[in-house]
Amino acid sequence: MTSIKRLLLLGATLTLLLGQAQAEVQTNTSLQAPAVLKRQAIEIAATLRCPMSTNQNLLDSQSPIASELKAEIYLQLERGKTADEIVDFMVARYGERIRYMPSLTSGTALLFFMPLGLLSAVLFWYLRQMHTRRPLPHSQEHRS
Amino acid sequence: MNAEIGLLLLTISLTLCLLMAAMPIAQACRCRVALHDYLSLFIKLNTLAQLASLLILVFLFLDNDFSVAYVANNSNSQLASLYKVAAVWGGHEGSMLFWVAAIGIWSWVISLKSDATAPFFHYLHAVLGAIQAGLIAFLLIGSNPFARLLPGIPVEGRDLNPILQDIGLILHPPLLFVGYVGLAVCFAAAVAALLDNSQSMKHHCRVMRPWAILAWAMLTGGNAFGSWWAYNELGWGGWWFWDPVENASFIPWLVATALMHSLILGEQRDRFHGTSLFLAILGFSLCLLGTFLVRSGVVQSVHAFAADPLRGAAMLTLFALVSICGFTLLLHRLPKLIRPISTQGLSRENLMQLGNLLLLVAALSILLGTCYPLLYEVVTGQSISVGAPYFNSLFIPLTGIISLFMGAAPLMGWQASRQDAIKPLALLACICLGVSFSLNYLMLGEIDAHFMLGSFASLWLISCTGLYVRNHLRRMTLPTGNRRFYVMCVTHLGVALSILGATCSSYFQQEELLRMGPGQGRVVAGYTFIYQATETVSHTSYSALQAKIEVRDKRDQHLTYLYPQRQTFNSNAMQISAAGIHRSLFADLYISMGNQLSEEEFLIRISYKPLVGWIWIGALIMMFAGLSLLRPSDACRQARVSPPQLAVKGAR
Repeated sequence: MTSIKRLLLLGATLTLLLGQAQAEVQTNTSLQAPAVLKRQAIEIAATLRCPMSTNQNLLDSQSPIASELKAEIYLQLERGKTADEIVDFMVARYGERIRYMPSLTSGTALLFFMPLGLLSAVLFWYLRQMHTRRPLPHSQEHRS
Repeated sequence: MNAEIGLLLLTISLTLCLLMAAMPIAQACRCRVALHDYLSLFIKLNTLAQLASLLILVFLFLDNDFSVAYVANNSNSQLASLYKVAAVWGGHEGSMLFWVAAIGIWSWVISLKSDATAPFFHYLHAVLGAIQAGLIAFLLIGSNPFARLLPGIPVEGRDLNPILQDIGLILHPPLLFVGYVGLAVCFAAAVAALLDNSQSMKHHCRVMRPWAILAWAMLTGGNAFGSWWAYNELGWGGWWFWDPVENASFIPWLVATALMHSLILGEQRDRFHGTSLFLAILGFSLCLLGTFLVRSGVVQSVHAFAADPLRGAAMLTLFALVSICGFTLLLHRLPKLIRPISTQGLSRENLMQLGNLLLLVAALSILLGTCYPLLYEVVTGQSISVGAPYFNSLFIPLTGIISLFMGAAPLMGWQASRQDAIKPLALLACICLGVSFSLNYLMLGEIDAHFMLGSFASLWLISCTGLYVRNHLRRMTLPTGNRRFYVMCVTHLGVALSILGATCSSYFQQEELLRMGPGQGRVVAGYTFIYQATETVSHTSYSALQAKIEVRDKRDQHLTYLYPQRQTFNSNAMQISAAGIHRSLFADLYISMGNQLSEEEFLIRISYKPLVGWIWIGALIMMFAGLSLLRPSDACRQARVSPPQLAVKGAR
């Protein structure tokens, strides 16, 4: 037990130290160098769907509109817009279809909560089965 | 004339399949014709007819018989002979025929060694016959591979889709189809096991085990080669895009993985047979659903494959029939299958079973994500996309949990959790978590849950396997279980390598997207890339613009030349880009050539992808480890399953 505690303590100190170092690094790069912007633009382009090609993101697509939109993302980043604002702009222009990560609405709630529901149902079912079958005094109910 | 013989043979095969399917029914109705005496003869004739029909299609391709529509659409007199043979499964009709013939061969191989009088095998062959009859009827009615183009016979064929003209076409589809066939056989075995009461369920599941392993190994190979092919050919450097077509083959793989483990569990403990049968039925149903998704054109995909709504309806009908029949039967027999679980806490069977259930959850969730845009459009009339960001945030955490069970399960004892094993495991988990946490901090700077999960999963799997091997060597247990033990360790290490490769290549990839022309250079990840010249290359089937790019390593020594191309195909003027890749064990240098931006300059994408090759190395390790379980010396019964794919290879 002591070894685990020691390990946790080590982890916590490491986190703190690294966290400070990280904070310093981040203040240095807040100038938003072109290379950083470019990386951000690539990251955003990878989550958006090309309106022209069958099923490719903006980054991989080589259609003219994809290059145009990639440039647009970069320009908007340069103007200081955040990733969310840019995605909202793209959705307003091309519809919900452009984003590969659908937004959470009443229509897509099932998409996000069904896997969680499935997971908890499976775990619940199995644990319950295990529980009811063990001869324990406090669980008298039979399996349904 | 040849094409008509092929068609006739298919019709004969359909009749034989229907007869085989009708045998148990005739027996149940106390029909006086004793059909079952002819079962093995029917199987032989059926396989012969299907094989001959497939060979006739091969011959038509080699013979450039463009009066046959399928040949005219998928071949060309200029096409290399190897691709002509591969073109047999390069389109919809031929690949269905290949699928049917592979089922035929597999069932023939089963019939060679099996005790033909056992009712289990009667039911098995009847179900396989019914499946084949369904597929052949589908071929004959909707998509006849031998249909003629009369009277306007084209002088020249339309050529095989240029993207398919790759070594990938020779390897990927046959492996995948043999995997699908394996799941079909497991489905048939599950139905037979539910119908036949003469022997114990444990016995049936033991018979099914090698088939499931072979199916799993083939699906592993099929998925891995598919992903490797996309990496080489599509020119965007990705190896997995969560495209619907990719998911259609990945979901059955997940189910097959769960099925294999469930069968192993059932064999050891004589429990959980219900789960195995459920997974076997689900696996084949999902193969059919996947085929429907891929071939009906309801989903949009980069790997668009022979889409036609009419075929979709037929496949959907088959899917509905198979799943409804299978699950109804299972539900009917379920009360008999439930056995008490006399086990507690963190015992090996609990961990394995939970792992299987999690694999099932992963498979169903991916299926939901794949079908969701379709359902959403039907209900609301609006379209949405569900893509890589969604699937990654779903699958990576699940992989993390599954690998937790996967690493821990072999270290636990059967039935009871071993208290002495839990403590070191908890410590090991903490160490792995700590290491992946500090790796994350040191290398990425910010906390990234996906990176942590990936690195934790691979570290955990590797260290658990190491621990297990150490314990095993110390104990020196009986030599009988050794083969399986080592195969398990090697396969789990393969999974760890794949996860490691996937994690490292996604997070430590360095990439530049830039304009480049002759004389220009750029440093990426310490390597200097110098654009030397633009060249034109002509090939029998395409002409290409290729960039000659010199790569210099970190000490400024010449490393290699890379030649990314933009190929234009002669037959249909389609343009694709082929990447220039320098492979090494620890990192790939990947260049793809984009659009022409000015007279001399092109859009060039240079990537440095560390450990990307390990994804496929891991998958190959898994596949061959799985196949090695089927070596004849292992057990007499398992020997009989390995020949099908050999026979199929011989048929090509």
